Amino acid sequence: MRTNRTRWTTMGVAAAATVSLAACSSGGSAAEPDEPAEQAGPVSIEIWGWDAETGEQIVDAFNEAQDDVEAEYVLQASNVATQTNFQNAMEAGSGVPCLVQGFAPLTTMVVNGWAQDITEYVEGSTDLYNEGALAAAQVDGRYYGLPAGSDAQFYMVNQKTFDEYDVEVPTTWDEFVEVGRELKKDGVDITNLAGEDPTPLMHLAQQAGAEWFAIDGDQWVVNFTDERTLAAADVFQQLIDEDMVSNQTYMDRPALYKYFDSGKMASTTTQWWSLTGLQTNMPDSAGDWTAHPIPQFADAAAPVTPGRATASFVPVGCEHPEAVVAFHDWRTTPEAIEAGRNAETGAIGFPTQIPDPSDYVEEVVPEGFFADDQAAADEIVSAQTHVIGKFELGPNYDAWFPELQDQWGKAVAGEITLEEALTAVQEFVASDLENKGISYTVAE
Amino acid sequence: MSVNTQEDRAAAREPVPGPPPGGRPRGGSSPRGRTPIWNWRTAQNAKGASLSFPFLAGFTLFVIVPVAMALRESVYTTRSTGGLGFGGETVSFAGLDNFADGFVDGSFWSGMFRVFLYALIVVPLTQVLSLALALLLDAARRRAAARFRVALLLPYMVPGIVATMVWIYQYSPVVGPLTPFFAFFGLDVNFFSSSMVWVSMGNLAVWSALGFTMLILYGALQSVPHEIFEAARLDGASELRIAWSIKVPFVRGSLVLTSLLSIIGTLQLFDQPLLFRAVTPETITRDFTPAMMIYDQAFQVGNLNYATALSVILALVVGVASAIIYRFINREEP
Repeated sequence: MRTNRTRWTTMGVAAAATVSLAACSSGGSAAEPDEPAEQAGPVSIEIWGWDAETGEQIVDAFNEAQDDVEAEYVLQASNVATQTNFQNAMEAGSGVPCLVQGFAPLTTMVVNGWAQDITEYVEGSTDLYNEGALAAAQVDGRYYGLPAGSDAQFYMVNQKTFDEYDVEVPTTWDEFVEVGRELKKDGVDITNLAGEDPTPLMHLAQQAGAEWFAIDGDQWVVNFTDERTLAAADVFQQLIDEDMVSNQTYMDRPALYKYFDSGKMASTTTQWWSLTGLQTNMPDSAGDWTAHPIPQFADAAAPVTPGRATASFVPVGCEHPEAVVAFHDWRTTPEAIEAGRNAETGAIGFPTQIPDPSDYVEEVVPEGFFADDQAAADEIVSAQTHVIGKFELGPNYDAWFPELQDQWGKAVAGEITLEEALTAVQEFVASDLENKGISYTVAE
Repeated sequence: MSVNTQEDRAAAREPVPGPPPGGRPRGGSSPRGRTPIWNWRTAQNAKGASLSFPFLAGFTLFVIVPVAMALRESVYTTRSTGGLGFGGETVSFAGLDNFADGFVDGSFWSGMFRVFLYALIVVPLTQVLSLALALLLDAARRRAAARFRVALLLPYMVPGIVATMVWIYQYSPVVGPLTPFFAFFGLDVNFFSSSMVWVSMGNLAVWSALGFTMLILYGALQSVPHEIFEAARLDGASELRIAWSIKVPFVRGSLVLTSLLSIIGTLQLFDQPLLFRAVTPETITRDFTPAMMIYDQAFQVGNLNYATALSVILALVVGVASAIIYRFINREEP
């Protein structure tokens, strides 16, 4: 038991390291010859971020690769440190860097007057990125951020269980609920909804097209109970009401993995960085799993996958946005992606921002976990290409997330409905914004 | 050139108490026989007092200053300058508004009530069990007692968060050993269920506090003069009778101390519910105990002013509760 736990902890640390690595590094394709912006020697740009593992080596490789831009990586202690130092630099009006790793939602940067409109520079290279990455870089249709890759959700099925009970892999959420009913008859759960983790609801709301926060002039429009959100809530409400799901907690990891591994949980949504951990901890069911597109809403115009990203940005006052975009575009090249390989772990940052990351997906699919590695790899790539990328969380996310956790926990336990839960969260958001003196209106 | 010594000049500035009775001191000579102001007694006192300096410095830096800062923080209110909330903040003086809000805050006081009920069970239980263990150890031979003492103190050395993690694995209905244990006796016990969460946390609290409380009580028992026991035995008192009528009254002072520490710790209940929150989120909300609510206000909601006001209120409640208990237990001295 102890060995397992230790191993798990190690995995967790490794996974976390990989995630942070992936969040910071980018990758790509289609090398674009750098056009010299000015002929008068190299332009200098300063880059702020907190990627201690690979931040510097990527910038070094960039400087090696071309002569027009001389970049310097200034390592910050943390997300919070970046924010503090950045705000100080902006207030002082000196020492403002040219590229800052996104430390808060992009809207925050725009409304604060911190992020430059870099639309004219980004527009020249939109074909280097997938649509989700481009969406995550925009506010009100303009590029205020650099395209940023999201970790897209896909659907993972225990094929052995599905075959055993003779059910088909669902392609819509309605079918998903139907399959849940079928499996329930045999005492199998369609999936697990942890009581402390409301992110499945956030993902599903995003997929349904909900907009919990929008900006209207000088005020926020709060809307947790629109029909899109309620359509998402309805899927989970049926699962909860008819007892088709389990509520295993992430706190008790050994139990959680044991249950995932038991064949009693038929499927789950997940993303690429979870895979190594799953493979390590699920020895019995390894080889039984298959990857599929995440189920869609029946009325969806086109397939979309949930996932969002926090974009990096070019601060107001930086004189060389074109050089920053050149650097960011270079990061989609194979050479840059290789430069982002972690020297210690050997892990590469999965380039989630590029249209086709298929050359790199093999490295993130653990051997022997899926019934068909190639099919799983294709599915992960396909999920990345359909990722939505943007979901506005408003100015007080830290305050309302614990409230959403509370309400979700009650709803999952069947004490209240999800609609009541969402209404309560909306009321909380309104009263918190009121207390904070922030202008808002609650959508009718 | 002045002939005055440093001491003389100091004497001219500050009035000092006269020389101690007993004539001319050995140290602190005065060249012209004037009243010595820096005599040996003052020097000794200063030397003694200087030993408390490290404590005072630490106490000032880590207790007085933060309390003062908290009090200052609690009478202000911070609001956004309006609009979308990104244009900066204004801090304005709010007087006692935060306290007024705190005194009528339903969630805060229901949390307080919850912890109060919990303390009603856990505090006496810890004291009784620790006392029983201390009495048993006291009755055992010294070498055996020493071994048990270390073993019983081990849980106290485990940090709270770690202890909670350890117990969450013990309680786990799937991988923990306790569920099969109770199942063996035909009992279906789920330590993760809403109805059991208080028992789960209470058991953990008692487990953690037992060793420390036991140690203090055991120490107190060691100082009871043994002649009394001899006399009692000669009079035909049983060991149980000796324990109840002699030993327990003798450790009353220590019991008051351990009870107070226990009350203070229990009312500030934080890390256990924080971790158990994941296990039963429908029961343990973000404002489940006063300390959790303060944390949520300070670091999630971001209302530091209100959080400090609530902290001050919590400190007041703990102080009042301690004073009441102190009077209650300490009422009659043997």
